[in-house]
Amino acid sequence: MNKTGKILILATESCAYPGANAVGQAHSSYPANTYILRVRAPVLFPERFYLECFEKGIWGVIIMSCGVECPYHGAYEALAKRMDRVFAMMKQRGLDTQRLRLTSICTVCTRSFLKEVQQMNEIITKLGPPGAERARAGIPGQNGVMASGG
Amino acid sequence: MIMAGENEYGKEGAAGRRKVGVYVCHCGGNISDHVDVGEVCRRIEKIPGVTSVQNNVFMCSDPGQELIMKDIRSGAADRVVVASCAPNLHEATFRNAISRAGGNPYIYEHANIREQVSWVHHGAAATEKAIRLIAAAAAKAERLEPLTPIRLEALRHATVVGGGIAGLKAAIDLAKRGVEVAIIETSPFLGGRAAQLDRLAPSGESAAQVISELAGRVLNHKSITVHTCARIRTYQGYIGNFRIGIGREAPGGSGEWNESGKKDKPAPARGEFVPFAGVYAGEVLEIPEEFSIDTGIILLATGFKPYEPRRGEYGYKEFEGVVTLPEFIKMLALAGRGGDTLEIGGRQIKSVAMIHCVGSRMIPGIHEEDENGRLNEYCSRTCCTATLQTATTIRKTWPRTNVFEFYRDIRTYGRGQEELYAEAARASVMFLRFDPEEPPVVGKSEDNDGYALYARVKDKLTFGEEILAPVDLVVLSAGMEPNDVSDMVAMMKLPVGADRFLQEVHPKLRPVELSVAGILLAGTCQAPMDTGEACAAASAAAVKASAVLSRGYVELDPFVAEVDGDKCRGTGACVQACLKEGALELVETLDGGEKALRAQVNAAFCIGCGACAAVCPEGAINVKGWTLNQYEAMLDAIVSDDLFEEERPHATAG
Repeated sequence: MNKTGKILILATESCAYPGANAVGQAHSSYPANTYILRVRAPVLFPERFYLECFEKGIWGVIIMSCGVECPYHGAYEALAKRMDRVFAMMKQRGLDTQRLRLTSICTVCTRSFLKEVQQMNEIITKLGPPGAERARAGIPGQNGVMASGG
Repeated sequence: MIMAGENEYGKEGAAGRRKVGVYVCHCGGNISDHVDVGEVCRRIEKIPGVTSVQNNVFMCSDPGQELIMKDIRSGAADRVVVASCAPNLHEATFRNAISRAGGNPYIYEHANIREQVSWVHHGAAATEKAIRLIAAAAAKAERLEPLTPIRLEALRHATVVGGGIAGLKAAIDLAKRGVEVAIIETSPFLGGRAAQLDRLAPSGESAAQVISELAGRVLNHKSITVHTCARIRTYQGYIGNFRIGIGREAPGGSGEWNESGKKDKPAPARGEFVPFAGVYAGEVLEIPEEFSIDTGIILLATGFKPYEPRRGEYGYKEFEGVVTLPEFIKMLALAGRGGDTLEIGGRQIKSVAMIHCVGSRMIPGIHEEDENGRLNEYCSRTCCTATLQTATTIRKTWPRTNVFEFYRDIRTYGRGQEELYAEAARASVMFLRFDPEEPPVVGKSEDNDGYALYARVKDKLTFGEEILAPVDLVVLSAGMEPNDVSDMVAMMKLPVGADRFLQEVHPKLRPVELSVAGILLAGTCQAPMDTGEACAAASAAAVKASAVLSRGYVELDPFVAEVDGDKCRGTGACVQACLKEGALELVETLDGGEKALRAQVNAAFCIGCGACAAVCPEGAINVKGWTLNQYEAMLDAIVSDDLFEEERPHATAG
């Protein structure tokens, strides 16, 4: 069983999800610790969803959105604002905000997709499991993981 | 961890007793060469709630689909997961199979184990990832509810925005299928940019003839109403039932009202072709008027405008004798046909330089951005052929006029276009190739050689030799830019690509549809196209529109928000977060005999983005088919190691 930390990717069905398929069509290999969920618009997810991801053992989350080309007018802007709040909540809980990344991936953005996956892998390799950064900073927690999912 | 149960996101998790069938595809080895399908099936069988696990060489084949249908018919499964290629390829295939077996097509979830697993991962890691993704799909499937598509009545009427060649073609095709059509055109003429051409490449047909024929059919068709000098001012409604407000007023700008229509000249007759303007559609208003149209479909054919080089770009507007290709085409049409040397404005043109890729294929760091910081990085596709056609026409009509073509690459991509390239070469057009980093330099000739200008280039075809062509005229092959439709983009929430053209849902699978249901695309508002392609796109859009309208109703995917009346406390957070005006509102209702405010969804307006679901403190609103509860279950399945622990018995539902 693969013991590497898992990366959850929320990929929009209009842009990033077909973009990830394009990476497959090009047979460009990338680490298998990546789990892509197809989403209509990531604005669906409340702040607590991201915190729960980390609480449940996801080491890194990449939101691959359509960016300003989002077919749901105003959704990207609303999401970007929410991300600020999620980052603040992560800081409060002693989680490194690099574990969560909002990016835009188009249907043919294969290089960007691979770069994002690689970068997040580098980050989680450096940071270890969620909460390890808090343990390193000497902040008490539950089993080295954050105490509350928010 | 893989178990059904109530969580904070909603009630669906209580399901538990559903029977999930999982069908794993080998894809003829595409999947099974890298993913151990047998191992996948063995692990997936352990998931509580999974009642049937089967595999097939090709799940999309008839025998593959039959496996699903048999389980649905026999009751062995009432939820379906197919693990195969990307969902855009066969999701619809498997939904249809479920329907044919008498099931609800929305009890289906897809696991993508080809593009996102076997084509990018190998060995044990690929198998493990496939198992986790299928487990996640099964977890979601267990929480899926049968859904009914939203059915809305549709008006048998279409509005075509733009009276260019694509708009005219679409209107005729729609009218032929019995649809009432309104054309909204900003100018007093029909024909658009095509009417400003002389001959259409590569066939050499007369643009005037083609436009006159199309416009004539439009003006004489009883089911088509043409509104010239008109713009869309307001917009509301949804597919099948739009209401658009139209404003009409006499044209003011020179771009819309050409010299033939000015008041100091008699107006042309209705249906008359005015060279380089189009077919006059009659009646220009003195007093502005406003009215509204109820329509079922809006078809955008808003067209393009030629790139306008900035002052000084290849000497444009700096030196006399530097013109764009559209300007030159007009000059050429008016030039006398006698003699063996081209004559324009009484001046002999002994030599012409034609420069390709002006305002197209621009490269950051090399080309200068416009005042808004934009570069046209795309290829305009039509200019190579148009330039070659013009060059050949010059050489054949005025054999003593030389033509130099300065190009980066020749892109004669369509039928008959490569032949045009060969014909230009046979007609002794001189080709010089340049690197974008070292474009041709246009200057004023200081030699007394009888030529006003020169064009100098480091020619790649002669391995970097510097060549100077003395010329009388420089023609810039200006690319295409989309017309400014920012008012409609803002009003109708239309998606626009990075290139500023309107963006279709999918370039191959849904090429003429926008993400806003009921609004279609035709022609160069979507991307650079030649007239043939624009007409093909228009016909495709017309067929798509008439297919919707001829049924008299439209069916939409039911992926819209849904309020759980038991949980809603009327906080209004969802209404505040809603991105689509009119999709959500608070209405007064009776709760235990007392008046209370509750959220209510207008399904026809809801775009299903889920912005409402994220903010409800009660978890009382969700997008059907894409609920937070389902995502939560998928997350649990992905992180769970239960399926990989051989010894320990698994947790059971509940």
